[in-house]
This record gives sequence, C-alpha cells and structure tokens, in this order.
Amino acid sequence: MALDIKPTRSELINLKRRIKQTQNGYKLLKMKRDGLFHEFRMLLADMIKAREDLLSTYREAIKSISLASSIEGALPVKSTAIAIATRPEVEVSKRNIMGVVVPSVTGEHLSSTIQERGIGLIGGSAYIDEAADAYSDLIQNIVKAAEMEATLKKLLAEIESTKRRVNALEFKVIPEMKEAQTFIQLRLEEMEREETFRLKRFKNK
Amino acid sequence: MEIVVIGSHEFTLGFQLAGVTRLHHPSTEKEMESTINDLLKDSTVGIIVVDNSDLAQLSERLRERIAESITPTVLGIGTQEDNTLRESIKSALGVDLWK
Repeated sequence: MALDIKPTRSELINLKRRIKQTQNGYKLLKMKRDGLFHEFRMLLADMIKAREDLLSTYREAIKSISLASSIEGALPVKSTAIAIATRPEVEVSKRNIMGVVVPSVTGEHLSSTIQERGIGLIGGSAYIDEAADAYSDLIQNIVKAAEMEATLKKLLAEIESTKRRVNALEFKVIPEMKEAQTFIQLRLEEMEREETFRLKRFKNK
Repeated sequence: MEIVVIGSHEFTLGFQLAGVTRLHHPSTEKEMESTINDLLKDSTVGIIVVDNSDLAQLSERLRERIAESITPTVLGIGTQEDNTLRESIKSALGVDLWK
C-alpha cells in the first residue's frame, strides 16, 4: 500500500478515531449479517415446505383435470374454462425484515364457489368443478410460494452485499488503517529520536 | 396485479379453469424468451407461472434475470424440479442449504 499520509500527531489521533468507528461499523454489519442469515434459515425451511405443498397440489390438479378431460371430453372443459367469471388477482405490498424491504403478496378471488364461477349448476360437471377447485388450491399455493421466493431472493441479495462489506472491512479497510497507524507511530518515534540526537549533538558543541 | 401463465395449451387449461385469463402459448424458444422479457417489464404482472421444463430451456442470461426478479416473481412449477433458487443460494452463500 502506498502510504500517502502525513506523519503527524493530529493525523494519528484522527486515524485512531476512524479505526474505532470502522470497527464499530464492522461489528454492527456482522451482527446484521448474522441476523439476516438467521431470518433466511427460518424462512428457507418454510419455503421448502411451501415448494413440497406446491408440487403435491400441482400433481393433484393435473390428475383432476386429466380425469375431467377424459370423462367429460376436452371441449366441455375448454368451454367451461372460457366461461369462468372470477379472476384471481394479487396485490403486492411491502414489509420490512431487518431493514430489508420485502414484498408481501396477498391474493383476491383465489378460490371461488360454483355460484361465483358463473357457469351454472346445470351446464357444469362435478369432475370439471373438482378440477377447478384443485387449480384454485394450486393458485393459493403459488401465491404463497411466490411471496416466499421473492422474500428469500431479497434477503439473499442483502446477505451477499452485507457479507461483501464485512469482508472488505475485515480484510482491506481495517488492516490498511492499522498499517497507516503503525507507520505514523514509527515515523513519530523516529522523529523524536532524531530530535533527541540533534539536541545531544547541539549540547556537546 | 395479475397472474400470468406461460406454457402449452394443456399446461394453461387448468389455470384458465381457475379464472386466470392472461395466458401465453409461445411455440418456439425464441418466442418464449421474448414473452418472458416483455412480461418482466410489465408492471401489471405480479406472478408469472412457467412450466419447469420450459424454464430449463431458457438461456443462462434470462434465467439469471428471472432469478433476480422480485416483481414480477417467476415461479416454475411442474413435475421436474426447479433449481433456480437453490442455485442462487449456493452461489450467494457458498453452501447448499436446500436440504
């Protein structure tokens, strides 16, 4: 490192203060990183569970729609799908986890009753209704999994950047500042020795 | 915000039955990539649901964009396992915590 610093007492005092501040910041960042990691691990377990639920409901949904298509025929299923009146929608708001703004996804009209679907009781079929119910359940699980996935991605990005900052402080910034501090201390001691030597020589003359 | 489903007619039919109206049926890989790119820029889209097998065929660059996108969130479902989040965790933390 090129030490472009003035070896003065005031610089040394400033540097000592800056080292202390940086070390405090380093400790705080380290705590933030650990806290985020803890939060992440807790959410990850839920995410794995949500993924498993999603997969099982997807399998159920495929099974029910295949059954409906094979019993009622593809055309009635398609025509019922076109006639469905309810539209599932999602609302994305924000919440805060340890200073990280994460999305909170809430769904509207994710599941609906036969009456709400607007296809009528006479024209419909029990198999098609079952398939519609299975897919409504799937959409509910999708919304849940999507929220968790987005939250995990945000936390992951924050953990990564905090980790980089912690590493930069630990392995680059603080060691460089300490090196500068040692340089100033040694230089000042040397200057003091030079001064004493000069005075001694002056006295001897 | 809306839920969008991308995939074959067989894949999207069930979602249509649950009331999802924004369905895309790209026939080629290129069309699929441009559809996803357009939807990623669309502010009215909250969730994009894609078949995992289609997701696996996308370019590395687009898959990275998908992995980073929060609104909309792209969710791969299917009988094939979706490993995009698992890979992101591995590359960010250095360990595979998905166990």
